[in-house]
Amino acid sequence: MLKEKLEDVRREALAAVQKAEDTQNLYESVKVQFLGKQGRFSALMKEMGKLSADERPVFGKLVNEVKDAIEQAYAARENELKNKELTSKLSNETLDLTLPSPTHALGAQHPISMVIDEITNILIRLGYSVRTGPLIEQDRYNFESLNIPKDHPARDMQDTFYIDERHVLRTHTSPIQAHVLESEKPPLRIIGVGPVFRCDSDVSHSPNFHQIEGMYVDRKVSMADLKGTIAYFVREFFGKSLKTRFRPSFFPFTEPSAEVDCQCPLCTGRGCSMCKQSGWVEIGGSGLINPNVLKVAGVNYPEWQGFAFGFGIERMGIIKYGVEHIGLYNQNDVRFLRQFSV
Amino acid sequence: MKISLKWLQDYVDVSEFFAKPQELSNLLTSAGLEVEGVENLAKAFDKVVVGHILEKGQHPDADRLSLCQVATGSGIVHQIVCGAQNHKQNDRVVVALPGAVLPGNFEIKLAKVRGVESGGMLCSEKELGLKAESEGIFILPEAAPIGKPFAEYMGFDDVVFDIKVTPNRSDCLSHFGLAREIAAILGRPCELKLDTLTEGGGSTREMVKLTVPSTDLCPRYCGRGVRGVKVGPSPDWMKKRLEAVGLNAINNVVDVTNYVMLELGQPLHAFDVREIKGGKLSVDRSKAGETFTTLDGTEIKLSGTELTIRDGERAVALAGIVGGKNSGIQDDTQDIFIEAAYFTPVAVRQTARKFGIETDSSYRFARGTNPDAVALAMNRAAVLIQKVAGGNICGEHYDNYPDPVKRTAIEIALSTLTERLGYPVDRDQFATWMERLGCLVEEKKTGNDVVWHITPPSFRQDLHLDVDLVEEFGRLNGYQNIPETLPPTGMMPTDHDPQYIFEVRLRRLFQAQGLLQAINYAFISSKFQERVLGSYEKLAGFGLRAIHQPVTLMNPLTEELNVMRTSLVPSLLKSVQHNSRHGNAVGRLFELGFVFDGKRGGGATEGNSYLQEWHGAMAIWGEQTDLWQKKSSAALVYELKTALENILKSLGITKFSWSQPTDAQSVPDFLHPGQCAQLIAEGKPIGFIGTLHPVLQDELKIRETVALSEINLDRLMQGQPRSPKAKSPSNFPAVERDIALQMPKNLPAADVETTIRKSGGDLLQEVRVFDVFEGGNVPTGQRSVAFRLIFQDLKGTLEDAQVNSLRDQVVKAVTEKFPVSVR
Repeated sequence: MLKEKLEDVRREALAAVQKAEDTQNLYESVKVQFLGKQGRFSALMKEMGKLSADERPVFGKLVNEVKDAIEQAYAARENELKNKELTSKLSNETLDLTLPSPTHALGAQHPISMVIDEITNILIRLGYSVRTGPLIEQDRYNFESLNIPKDHPARDMQDTFYIDERHVLRTHTSPIQAHVLESEKPPLRIIGVGPVFRCDSDVSHSPNFHQIEGMYVDRKVSMADLKGTIAYFVREFFGKSLKTRFRPSFFPFTEPSAEVDCQCPLCTGRGCSMCKQSGWVEIGGSGLINPNVLKVAGVNYPEWQGFAFGFGIERMGIIKYGVEHIGLYNQNDVRFLRQFSV
Repeated sequence: MKISLKWLQDYVDVSEFFAKPQELSNLLTSAGLEVEGVENLAKAFDKVVVGHILEKGQHPDADRLSLCQVATGSGIVHQIVCGAQNHKQNDRVVVALPGAVLPGNFEIKLAKVRGVESGGMLCSEKELGLKAESEGIFILPEAAPIGKPFAEYMGFDDVVFDIKVTPNRSDCLSHFGLAREIAAILGRPCELKLDTLTEGGGSTREMVKLTVPSTDLCPRYCGRGVRGVKVGPSPDWMKKRLEAVGLNAINNVVDVTNYVMLELGQPLHAFDVREIKGGKLSVDRSKAGETFTTLDGTEIKLSGTELTIRDGERAVALAGIVGGKNSGIQDDTQDIFIEAAYFTPVAVRQTARKFGIETDSSYRFARGTNPDAVALAMNRAAVLIQKVAGGNICGEHYDNYPDPVKRTAIEIALSTLTERLGYPVDRDQFATWMERLGCLVEEKKTGNDVVWHITPPSFRQDLHLDVDLVEEFGRLNGYQNIPETLPPTGMMPTDHDPQYIFEVRLRRLFQAQGLLQAINYAFISSKFQERVLGSYEKLAGFGLRAIHQPVTLMNPLTEELNVMRTSLVPSLLKSVQHNSRHGNAVGRLFELGFVFDGKRGGGATEGNSYLQEWHGAMAIWGEQTDLWQKKSSAALVYELKTALENILKSLGITKFSWSQPTDAQSVPDFLHPGQCAQLIAEGKPIGFIGTLHPVLQDELKIRETVALSEINLDRLMQGQPRSPKAKSPSNFPAVERDIALQMPKNLPAADVETTIRKSGGDLLQEVRVFDVFEGGNVPTGQRSVAFRLIFQDLKGTLEDAQVNSLRDQVVKAVTEKFPVSVR
């Protein structure tokens, strides 16, 4: 009688296990109904008292067998349902990760700043350090200390903005050199950098552009040292295989003077529109510091000698980053600037 | 300067370069005379020929156009539509056939003009680049052979080089001068063949009485008369030479003075002797206040300092710059006085600059002419004038040269050459080059070293120092021979300018906040700057210098760029305007730059520089999030607050606060009076954040709301850089307590927060606002602000009772200090 009841429980419980569609249902229809405190097993166990002492262990064993069987079936089903439910949950939670993500704006430095950083980082490796100076400069530092006296035709080389009789917007970064020669003791390896101004504006000239220059003062300084330094710079900045060329020129503050060309980085010297088919692009001016400049600053020549070189930063950006024309630098168009977030 | 190859051939053999002009160009450039352009005139007129108008008819559909049938000797008759009116049947004309490229890169193509095919163009002198302006098409004489290439017909078989002569090389500002340089480079002879001068026109001294009081400004003055010239057009050969290098022919006498200037580099002037009042000329300073009218009719007022050439009554020329209208060569001039002089460069330059007159003459004098070539040029001109205008050359010429310029020798050692150039210099090679340049070379002593005394020729006024000779040798021997070496290291490195270090750092911090760096000009329109900034005093309250007087440029390019910036905001707004106009509806810009103050103590004396203050600024506009996502609920300006706070923290500045002006009057005019706050860092005002005033936004036609900020970087930089100071975090749990306070709307939340922090004791680690609420059961004029207080102890776990008592302490402090109540 009791045994039959047990068999009924086994059959019904196993049927309920198979019937359950989800873990919740499984729990309610099997765990609660059969295995719980109020379940059918508990009820059967209570009825065990009616059995004789001989029957009890036999029946007890049987009960345990049935219970184990149900529990095993339960566990298996539960595992199965859990997996099914997880799969379905994961599937429902699928996102289209190709949709645009929330914008966290990417900042950028101006290409002019990028050129400045690139150049200074190269020269720093050669022991140079950066100096700056006032943008409104005394005539004395902008011109006279640099061997450009008043009424000298060399002043025509630089169209100057005047503030008053004695002050100009600096026309080049060279007054930084003049200040350093006066205030610091040689030997020196200095970078001067910043905005400069020329009273000139067209497609290829901006009235407010940027220069960077290097100055080296030591006991023995030669054109070969200058050329070697610039050639190193060119290789680091534009490309390892590119050659440097000097052309004679004139700057009042250097003697001998040289214009610096480098092999066109775009075509590596083969000729293209950037270099007007010549294979070379002009990148700046250089020379040995004119003894007059050293003497005016109180530096004892020829005990101390030096060289200096300077580049236009906008031009470097045009050559290296492909900036198409100088006007783009000051429009501050965000579509242009965003390209420099590297 | 333009140089004709044909003309050069007169003095030095350059014949091989007609076929290969690029070679001469490279040669000159590598010697320091940069060739900026080469114009091969024969090649320039390819497919341009002499044509014959067989028939001139009317264009069927255009009244103003004619339809011509033109023969060009090839047997083909070209149908050409022409817009000019001055031609007729049988005329000889210049025809540009399809494929021709006229000056200005104008390519001629087979085309349809108003439905009628046109196979070429009948050219005007302007279109051919022969004249700046011309009327109608160019009609040639009947003798012009049909079909002859136009270049050949015109005798355009020359090559013209455009050379950038650096200011030191005034000796190359002439054909002979450049020929001399080319001869030196190539090691060829250079010769100036001069016709003999025959004096037959009486005495120059009887024609004009000359005195030179101002020898300080005019060390040499030569003059010679020519009697009985016949003024008229110059012969073709002279016209062609002048025109080839860009000068217009005027008349034979004036043309000769120009010709000799272009030949020898010595500017000349010719006076009409009739107009020399009292028969007297003096080279002297002007009279203060007198007026002088130049040849081209410009009237200028002289001050008494300028050097003039004067007759018995008045100034007749501005020395070395321009002649007077009162004494120039006329069509009926017969007797002339030729002036050739050496005026000092400074005198000419000062006067030319003062009056803004630059002539071919002043250009050369200002760069320095050769005092030793003055008489030569005068005589050359006299002979040429006689040749092209007739007349008789006067004897007894003037040559006032009381103190001849002496050239001093430059001492240079072989060791100096080697040291400066960085490679061993050959002794004989150096001497050879110096001799080729025309220097007197004396070898002084030998031993371990060689020392020379080099005396440069009088035309090389740029050679003074030994390094000048180092350059001469270096360039002639070839800069390509300079090796590449690196200077030795071992020098003690020095520090960077702290401002540069800080700038690099700031740029990266702003970039990290998602901003793009803008760079604007340091100058701006004074009008626009004033309009934007309004009352400048208000900026002072924000820690930015109140600039009363912007620095004004004496010679601005335009009124749009006439003063230095006094704030970065106006130019950043220009950038926003540009972006808005170009459809960039979202943008985040920052700029680092200087502002300037024109007001300085003590006036504009030397050493007393203009004050420059270093600023940083931001301008942002537009919503950042993408359209499909939720937009931020906070106003745009809060983004700037976050950016600035992040930057301050990145700089190690943790003590900062914000204060909002309660009085709208103290808010700068360009900001929204209710959306502006001042930043105080470590007790000092540093700058502001705010929203652009809607009226100004409207006026600037910016579509989006703009938030702005400007800070004083000089102040921010103080005490930088700082090292982080590390503290160990607590290992014990943090306990939170929330306090919601009902408070008046106009009570700044930051004031309450400060009191909470102060009253919360050391265990209060953090205070956050987590809810702001208006409306509902909060009365009008009030709002609810909920603060979350986070307590934590380094030494142990906090007890509830302890935290509750701290909370009560905070509530007590705020409710006592402010009209607030706990909700």
